[in-house]
Amino acid sequence: MSDPVFHSGLASSKAIEGSISVSSIDDQGMIDLRGDSGDKKFIAACKKVLGISLPTTPRESTATKNITALWLSPDQWLITCPRVSSVEITQELQSALSGIHALVVDVSDARSILRLEGDGAREILMKGAPVDLTTDDYGKGYVRRLRFAEMAALVHVISDTPEIIDLFVFRSYGQYAWDWLAATSSKQSKLQIFIDQPVAAI
Amino acid sequence: MTGKPYRLPQDSGTGHTSVGRLIDHGKPLSFTYDGKQMSGFAGDTLASAVMANGRRVLGRSFKYHRPRGLITMGSEEPNALVGVGEGSRLEPNLRATQVELYDGLCAVSQNRWPSLDFDVGIINNHMSRLFPSGFYYKTFMWPKVFWHKVYEPIIRNAAGLGVAPKGIDPDSYEQMHVHCDVLVVGGGVAGLAAARAAMATGKRVMICDETPRLGGTADISSELIDGKSQLDWVREQASALAAADNVQVMTRSTVVGHYHHNYLMVFERLTDHDPELAANGAPRHRLWKVRAGKVIVASGASERTMTFANNDRPGVMLSSAARTLVERYGVAPGLMGLIFTNNDDAYHTALNLKSAGVGVGRIVDVRENPQSDVISAAQSAGIEVMFGHAIAGVETSSGGKQIDAVKVAPYVTGRGRVVDERTIPADFVAVSGGWNPVAHLWCHNGGKLRWDDDLSCFRPLSHNDEIAIVGAANGTMDLAGCLTEGYAAGEKAAGKATGKAAVKKSKATAVKQAPTQPMWFAPATGSYNEGNKHFIDQQNDVTAADLELAQREGYVSVEHTKRYTTLGMATDQGKNSNLPGLGVIAEATGRSIPEVGTTTFRPPYTPISFGAIAGTQRGELFHVVRRTAVYDWHIARTKVMEPVGDWRRPYCYPKAGESQQDAINREILNVRNNVGVLDASTLGKIEIKGPDAGAFLDLIYTNIFSSLKTGKCRYGLMMNEMGFLMDDGVTAKLADDHYLMHTTSGGAERIAAWLEEWLQTEWFDLKVYVTPVTEQWSQFAIAGPNARKVLEKLGGDIDLSGDALAFMEMANGTMGGFPVRLFRISFSGELSFEIATPANFGQDLWDKIFEAGDEFGIAPYGTEALHVLRAEKGFIVVGDETDGTVTPHDVGMSWAVSKKKPDYIGKRSLEQAFLTEPGRKQLVGLSTTDPNEVLPDGAQAVETVHAGKQSMIGHVTSSYWSPTLKRSIAMALIKDGSNRMGEKISFPLADKVIEAEIVNPVFYDKEGARQNV
Repeated sequence: MSDPVFHSGLASSKAIEGSISVSSIDDQGMIDLRGDSGDKKFIAACKKVLGISLPTTPRESTATKNITALWLSPDQWLITCPRVSSVEITQELQSALSGIHALVVDVSDARSILRLEGDGAREILMKGAPVDLTTDDYGKGYVRRLRFAEMAALVHVISDTPEIIDLFVFRSYGQYAWDWLAATSSKQSKLQIFIDQPVAAI
Repeated sequence: MTGKPYRLPQDSGTGHTSVGRLIDHGKPLSFTYDGKQMSGFAGDTLASAVMANGRRVLGRSFKYHRPRGLITMGSEEPNALVGVGEGSRLEPNLRATQVELYDGLCAVSQNRWPSLDFDVGIINNHMSRLFPSGFYYKTFMWPKVFWHKVYEPIIRNAAGLGVAPKGIDPDSYEQMHVHCDVLVVGGGVAGLAAARAAMATGKRVMICDETPRLGGTADISSELIDGKSQLDWVREQASALAAADNVQVMTRSTVVGHYHHNYLMVFERLTDHDPELAANGAPRHRLWKVRAGKVIVASGASERTMTFANNDRPGVMLSSAARTLVERYGVAPGLMGLIFTNNDDAYHTALNLKSAGVGVGRIVDVRENPQSDVISAAQSAGIEVMFGHAIAGVETSSGGKQIDAVKVAPYVTGRGRVVDERTIPADFVAVSGGWNPVAHLWCHNGGKLRWDDDLSCFRPLSHNDEIAIVGAANGTMDLAGCLTEGYAAGEKAAGKATGKAAVKKSKATAVKQAPTQPMWFAPATGSYNEGNKHFIDQQNDVTAADLELAQREGYVSVEHTKRYTTLGMATDQGKNSNLPGLGVIAEATGRSIPEVGTTTFRPPYTPISFGAIAGTQRGELFHVVRRTAVYDWHIARTKVMEPVGDWRRPYCYPKAGESQQDAINREILNVRNNVGVLDASTLGKIEIKGPDAGAFLDLIYTNIFSSLKTGKCRYGLMMNEMGFLMDDGVTAKLADDHYLMHTTSGGAERIAAWLEEWLQTEWFDLKVYVTPVTEQWSQFAIAGPNARKVLEKLGGDIDLSGDALAFMEMANGTMGGFPVRLFRISFSGELSFEIATPANFGQDLWDKIFEAGDEFGIAPYGTEALHVLRAEKGFIVVGDETDGTVTPHDVGMSWAVSKKKPDYIGKRSLEQAFLTEPGRKQLVGLSTTDPNEVLPDGAQAVETVHAGKQSMIGHVTSSYWSPTLKRSIAMALIKDGSNRMGEKISFPLADKVIEAEIVNPVFYDKEGARQNV
């Protein structure tokens, strides 16, 4: 029996090269982790497996080279890791957390990750998202669950300069999100706000 | 008239060197107006270019089809409405005063037939005694049937402004959401000062102006700031704002609405001034949705007209418009003008025009003896001034298109008839009736106004929002005051900056002005409507006489007068006409203007495009579409996709030449006889884990789950607190404290939120975590007598025998090399498995299932076959058999309602008398007397068919042709249905009556033998 063939949710999408570039991140695994952040045993067990303390401040993330923990809510995190190790890390977490009230689920296939790269990536998200993405805490490592183009989505800022943002949407929405980004990221619609501007006509 | 005399030289030789400052004589442009080739220059507006070509008539009026010319200099223009663009790019009702000229622009005038110069509808003008206010209400009341077929179509044809474009809009549009600390509305002197002060604090500041430029009216004002020209000062501010990284400067951007909590809508026009940008793919408009901490309104003031006989003739315009034509565009409004005013500002126009080389015959001033520097200056410049006089009318030729002379008479407030009248030759009139604060935005969300006697206008009083209003918009009509207020508001909104950051505040010297004297109506010779119309609302053709008639007829409330006469109800929303109208109403009824009150200001401030409202959501992006992992496979094989929530699921898979019904029948029989495969990935899946998970499920479902053994599945019913069914599905036990719940496809998100809400708000003591995993899994139903053979062929480590994996059991393992969860559950009544694998393997597993099933007659089936298969078995669908008022008892599922459990959601409600009383509508099967007759979904049942009103006793909830039984089947909710087995009831339809017998809803395999093999 041959190995199962992997089909990314965005495998058939045409590359976007407009005011920013958009690509599908297919080699990342995702683990949904629920537990009580006030429970020291829970935090310690997670740290032992993941090598990081789970972030407990809203909109923050913590990371090692391969593993990142994204804050989702006071008792929920999304762990990203190399896709090849998601099953193993899930099992390690489950066994480390046995006896502790927690829920660990491998959700590596539940979401599509769209990577937005280039100046104005944040503004393209702002075209579809009503939340404030210009607050002081916005920057590298920032995590925000939001409504984007009528979809439930999650934003993770990978880098400030150059601008790199990962947009997570549920897998079934991936193509719509992709098409939306293609429609709003043409070179002619490039937009960057709160920066140096040409002087307005008088 | 030829075009040339109207374009003024840039330097008039009088030292006035800024004439036509925006015009680039090196860049001639050509454009067409009503098909006629014309020329202009870069910097022109369509209005200025047409005027420069010697043409004054820019439109015909709405009702009387009178020729009309421009009145204003901007967005408040009521008359000069044009359609710009061609075909699908035509946009009607644009204000020519705002349209920036570009090479190749194609504009058409509106509301004229066959041409602007000769318009047949002008006959309405001569019959105007037949068209008073309320004309429609009075005339077209009888006979009633004539309204739809005769009157309305004729009226709709004759009235109205521009026409809608044909075809699909080829341009793109988008929206933008932004938060800022301070939003400044208006880029004039006051707004710039506010933005500079706010900018100094480092807060996020936005400043928007509806024109292409910053500066407001700085360029047509002569006072100095810090000893420099206002334009130089504006230039400095613009540079500073542009360089700041906390300021967003937006021109061609109208703040069109202010809503609750400082939510504002900004309409940005990116390409209308240069269609090549749009042709290259730039969005045409962008609608900004702004959440501002504080709002500073600096929207300036707009000049008032004055009401005199035939004040709508082309060539009568506002003083500020005349000044703008000369200063910005170098266009003379005419050869010899007459200025008519009640305030000082028009004297600046007179001086300005004269020094630019435009003839100014006379200034007619309503005031008896005003004193100020600018009046003296005008007199010194040799301009004759007539104090205490007013215009009594204008004389025209060429059907009203050309002004020949102006009639002037002495004026005393309150005196009616004109006795001593003089005729003065002139070909244009520049009017100033004072200035109104533009307080629309202030009022959109409840800002209050007060009447100011000195300025004869309403000005802002108070507001409950975090909003301030400054400068002329606040009724502060002097430059020094505009600066002071602007800086103060900026500091107050953003906080005071300290040290180096603080802005250096510029100053202007206060200039003394003589007071304005209100004048709402200038009497004319003769009586009303004898060629002597005093227009108030020029866009809707409402005259002073109409308003007075409405008062005589008892329309005391200004809101009633507005609707009766249509005052202020056109596309300009009465920007010019509101106050003059109130003035006339006040004088007619002996009340003061504040006693009359104002009408309501509503967004948008100016019309915005439908494209901007739709934004990106058009065509393929109109609405979210959710796709399963096998979506591409489906759409390669069928075009018939059914929306289920936001998902698109294959309805059926017709082969070439096969009808949909034939395809559905084939798919069903293949499941009954061989094996079918359904993409069931859309079903909701929720993992539930914790020491209290069993107890939690017992509270959520009507039946018991805590007793379920690991590896077993159970069907469950969910009610809301009212005792009504809200969802159903199979839940499997994965481990001691760990369950996997299946919900309906449409209920997946709703039920996950429902569970989370109960855990967070009511049962926070329960140790349970809930994680939705719908999207993690592709899940396929393999159903039919050959289902097990297909799985055996696929191979794997799961024992598929009936003993090892019995009906309503599940197993984890590997099948065909795929990690899977395998459930032996059935919604078709056949031997059936649902196999789930991580979604990114979904397509490959699907393909492998078909390879394995080839020899067993495998075929896909769609959602319609799924529905028929379950209906043959009498299985309900929540949402078909239930509608939010149906209990488990009503659908015959009392067996699933626990009598042992102490509590669960809906338990108490279910015990209410109303829900337990006999005779409620209950689920039954229907067997039509004619087996070939398929009842329509939703058909109403009656006891007996007779003429007149018939009592409804229920309705059809599901109805299909069953290829298995070779007859129609249906389910229905019928009053006391479970006690009426065997009775016949009737379904009267539009063209026939269908009779059916009430039967058990399970039509096929009542013992359930087929799924238990």
